[in-house]
Amino acid sequence: MTVPNETRSILAGRTTGLLVLIAGLAVLPLTAAIGDGWIDNSKLFSMTQMLMLITLASNWNFVSGLLGYVDFGHAAFFGLGAYSTGILMTKAGWPFFPTLPVGVIIAAVAAVIVGRATMHLKGPYFSIAMLGTFAALREIARVARPLTGGGPGLSLPPFLNRPLFYYLALVQAVLIVALYRWLRRTQFGTMMLGIREDEPGAEMRGINTMVVKLGAFAVAAASTGLVGCMWAYQNTFIDPDIVFLDSRTIEMALASVVGGLGTIVGPVVGSALLYWMRDVVWASFLQWHLIIEGAILIGVVLMMPNGVMGLRGSPFASHVRRLLPHRATR
Amino acid sequence: MSELLQALVNLTMLGGFYALMVMGFSLIWGVMGVINLAHGEFVLMGSYLTWVLNRHLGWEPFAALIVVVPVMFTFGYLVQRVLINRIIDRHHLVSLLVTYGLAILIANGLKLVFTGTPRSLTTALGGFWRIGAVTIPVVKSYDLVIALLMMTALSLLLRRSRLGRSVRAAAQNRQAARMVGVDVRAVFAVTFGIGVALTGAAGTLFGLTHPIAPFAGLPLTLRAFAITTMAGLGNIRGALLGSLALAAVEVIIATYVPGIGTNLGLVATFVVLVGILIVRPQGLFGGLAPMEER
Repeated sequence: MTVPNETRSILAGRTTGLLVLIAGLAVLPLTAAIGDGWIDNSKLFSMTQMLMLITLASNWNFVSGLLGYVDFGHAAFFGLGAYSTGILMTKAGWPFFPTLPVGVIIAAVAAVIVGRATMHLKGPYFSIAMLGTFAALREIARVARPLTGGGPGLSLPPFLNRPLFYYLALVQAVLIVALYRWLRRTQFGTMMLGIREDEPGAEMRGINTMVVKLGAFAVAAASTGLVGCMWAYQNTFIDPDIVFLDSRTIEMALASVVGGLGTIVGPVVGSALLYWMRDVVWASFLQWHLIIEGAILIGVVLMMPNGVMGLRGSPFASHVRRLLPHRATR
Repeated sequence: MSELLQALVNLTMLGGFYALMVMGFSLIWGVMGVINLAHGEFVLMGSYLTWVLNRHLGWEPFAALIVVVPVMFTFGYLVQRVLINRIIDRHHLVSLLVTYGLAILIANGLKLVFTGTPRSLTTALGGFWRIGAVTIPVVKSYDLVIALLMMTALSLLLRRSRLGRSVRAAAQNRQAARMVGVDVRAVFAVTFGIGVALTGAAGTLFGLTHPIAPFAGLPLTLRAFAITTMAGLGNIRGALLGSLALAAVEVIIATYVPGIGTNLGLVATFVVLVGILIVRPQGLFGGLAPMEER
């Protein structure tokens, strides 16, 4: 029996590749010191945004893809995180790092409260109720002027340390993807999939579906809130329109769907692809950027419903694999 | 007292507009099971089309309906044939994502063509009716009349005509309708066309009372969703009542809570909506199709 051995070696190969990738990302900012390296501040900023999108898309995918509750207002939790950091730093004079746990807790608690009401709803009703929650929070942020600064927004103390934000985003992305990968294999992950496939069935098997749903929702929301906290400090300015940006949830959905909905690697691949396209292809089509994004969303959903990850095992993929250098024997 | 009377008049007119605005959304959802997230953008397309005729050819906005309705019908028919027909039998996530993509595409396309500057229509029908202490803007009163006329027309079409019977049959049971000889695909395409045409007409009315901006679509879509879910799918009378209810919430907030726009009414609406959905998932008044998960 050579099968276990082989499996182990393939897994080992993958893990090594992954570690090399993470290590490469980790030393990337250091290359700035070496003369005219490839990396500069704007590249580093763009990479940071990409890493944040990886985290956000993974969170979105965790709720929408693995649990099957398609959340069209997930950016609401991003906004709660951003405003927690913004308000604590400007109104209460807190330093940055202590605001992070507060933002995370607020986002998670909000997810439990909102989810308690909306996760009774099925299918599209949940999606739109969340979209409404998102739109509602934006209006509340606009109206609650004494706290949020209303329409004119809040200016945070500027802190332009790009590598710091890069490393924060990198650590979070790695930890979150690892967490979801692990959760997916635990009993909790199985229960999530059970709920996605057949919720009454899961309930009949004795799963407390509401607890599982709220748990998953709170984890994803907490992580999204943390990204919001960091984003607010990095951007040094927040107002209702840039924090509760319509396209933020769309980006998460797009990255997940392009990569492969309901897979762990999908959102990572999708985010990387989106940023690559944005840098390389769309730099010259600034005005058309969102139009192209909308068209890609439609095209991907219609033509490759399982995203890039769905191409594995397709005739096209095996054709490509044959062209690449490969071992003749296993 | 006069404040209350004025609020009642305002909510009637706002409710009339919402009712027409929601009709297309409700019809498409009820018949095809597709939640059209590009609905608000379809409204805006009607508004911008009216604006072009109004601004560059000097047409009276109400006259523009003669062009808006057929153009939007054709547009809706084509969108259904090219896009929606492919996703009609698939998971609801697919139609949500596709129409969301369409919404982004249209909103940003509108911004590209018409820029982000808010536009407004010019009409000869300015001024007010005054009855006692109550003032009624002339434009809004015509808005209400046109909305009611169009709803009556749709209601007659659905109830009395052969096409309407096919539409209702296809909504109730696709398979059975197909079996008795209804060309379901053609019926769906025409229904989508009618829905989008009504939506475009609502866009003309929208432009008369609101500034037209490329990203004004999402709140409209959300209102349409809230009203439709409250009322029951494809239920015209229910939609009218739901629209009045939503308008009442918004007008009361705008009248009695100072310093807050109607957008906070949206917040209240969603709280009410989620409550209703939990208690009565089939909507308040029942509808064209059973509200099952699709």
